[in-house]
Amino acid sequence: MTWDKANESLIEIKDLSRIYTMGEVKVKALDNVTFDIKRGEFAAIMGKSGSGKSTLLHQLGLLDMPTSGEIIFNGNNILGLSESEKARFRLLKFGYVFQEYALLPELTALENVYLPAMALGRKKEEYLKAGTEVLGQVGLGTRLHHRPREMSGGEQQRVAIARALINKPDILFADEPTANLDSISSKQIIELFQKLNKETGLTILMVTHEPDDMKYVSTVVWLRDGELAERGK
Amino acid sequence: MFNNIKLSLFLASRSMIKGNKSTLLLIIFIMSLIFVNLVFIGSIFLGVTEATNKQVINSLYSNVVIEPKEDEKYISDVYSLEQKIKGVPGVVGISSQYVTGATLSHKDKHGTWTVRAVNPDDEMKVTTNHNYLIAGNYLSKLDENEILLGKEIAGGYGGDLEYSSLGVKVGDSIDVLFDNGVKKSYRVKGIFDANFIQTNTMAYISQKEMESVIGLEDKASQILVKTRDNGNEDWYIKQLLEMGIKEKIKPWTVYAGMVKNITNSFDMIAMMISAIGLFVAVITIFIIVYTSTISKRRQIGILRAVGIEESVIIQSYIFQAMFIVISGIFIGLIIIFFAIKPWFIEHPLKFPIGLASLLILPEKVSINAISLIIAALAAGFIPSWLAVRKTIIDAMWGE
Repeated sequence: MTWDKANESLIEIKDLSRIYTMGEVKVKALDNVTFDIKRGEFAAIMGKSGSGKSTLLHQLGLLDMPTSGEIIFNGNNILGLSESEKARFRLLKFGYVFQEYALLPELTALENVYLPAMALGRKKEEYLKAGTEVLGQVGLGTRLHHRPREMSGGEQQRVAIARALINKPDILFADEPTANLDSISSKQIIELFQKLNKETGLTILMVTHEPDDMKYVSTVVWLRDGELAERGK
Repeated sequence: MFNNIKLSLFLASRSMIKGNKSTLLLIIFIMSLIFVNLVFIGSIFLGVTEATNKQVINSLYSNVVIEPKEDEKYISDVYSLEQKIKGVPGVVGISSQYVTGATLSHKDKHGTWTVRAVNPDDEMKVTTNHNYLIAGNYLSKLDENEILLGKEIAGGYGGDLEYSSLGVKVGDSIDVLFDNGVKKSYRVKGIFDANFIQTNTMAYISQKEMESVIGLEDKASQILVKTRDNGNEDWYIKQLLEMGIKEKIKPWTVYAGMVKNITNSFDMIAMMISAIGLFVAVITIFIIVYTSTISKRRQIGILRAVGIEESVIIQSYIFQAMFIVISGIFIGLIIIFFAIKPWFIEHPLKFPIGLASLLILPEKVSINAISLIIAALAAGFIPSWLAVRKTIIDAMWGE
């Protein structure tokens, strides 16, 4: 990666606010948050519980619609996309890893992983090959045909990572990916992210509340009460 | 488009294969029963209507009836008229008849019934009553003083009007008082059961015998015309009119007022039961899909989060509903054609209008199947559409 490319913003967040209305009460979950994520960065969003970390990730990942602000991806405001365009965008550009693994229980590990590739219209032999490779990449080459319930939490999370990677996304969003895991599995997952970031240049934005995770990331975005408190490390 | 369908089919198939198979089989079985019910109700009513129509044609009026001109009691010059009728292509039988009311009595029992006087050789080409003798013999052309009775007149054969019958057997003598005041004794030559109450309340004597009673010749109260095919009566009537026949010419349907009432009532009942059946099917599928979308709300959210389009998710539920319904239809067809239909052929239902079996028309079966599929489409679409209306966050975390 060249210096220019490495310093290029992949995502720019401008004055992003998210206000939830609960009856008469309006709750400001995000308040004019502005920052950017560089291509190839491994960044963490940190903050206390209720500071708006997950809410911010949901807005960035187009899972929710902010009340105001802009999300510029590769120079384009992606908030103006239609629902079907957003779905396509998530499929092509984004990878997601959720706290609760979020696998489909009726599908095997391989089926869970190749589903997004299948949705892209790739040929069967292609998505089977890609799914097998990416599961091998996360260390589950021997668990292709196991169902989620037959796997440990750490293994399920690695299946979810493999699913997020199969379409070679521009950015991987991870929402507290180690929250439900034991310390060994957690370390393995974070090290896997670090390896992916270093070896493939994959941009990763991870929400975490673990201070230990700071040593793996290049940037930390600190949130406090829905506002950007600090960006750095 | 094709890829979306492929993906929907993949999700639907995995959901069903990995889901609870006993529940799936039970739901398919319920659908098959709903389909069987839809087809059965329509078919049994059609069968009864068909049986009634056939009885009216085969045992009472044949296809076309020629009646005397206005203000005349009899058709005159019957022989030459018959020759004209025979000239119409497709006419396969003609029976000139005298029809009169008469009081029949035996010992202390008596009653008034219709007596038809026929040429038995001609009558056998027009009606099928000669095939339904349950005692004695059919009439012969030259029979005198002999009478053929329907089982409701004779009695003793389990008729519906046993209380008013004469209680006679073959060989017994009965007295007949005709409309014109002539009274004669007749020997019961035969008793028939045409499986049709209107026919079974009639008596037959020979034409020759009747002419001796009323003192007329070459006349008739009505002429029944049997045609090669049913349903084309209007065409035959047109041909007969074009031959210059001045008498009144009517299709059998004119005499089937009772049949029309039955048919109309049956159509309405069948429609109501079919509508209820379809409604039950819609509700059943709706509940199944709705329950499924509720229990899989989080999975729907996951699918959307990874970029699967809403239409793919909706389609996958529609495909599941379609699979249930099409499987139900398939099993229903097996039940209908390999169990119910053969059983009804062996054990037809007995009605006062005759023996009725199922009349399964392919077009009706197709309409029922298409209706059920359309119902499944709607019932599969609505709950899945409602499910994808939720935001991804709500779907995944149930807020």
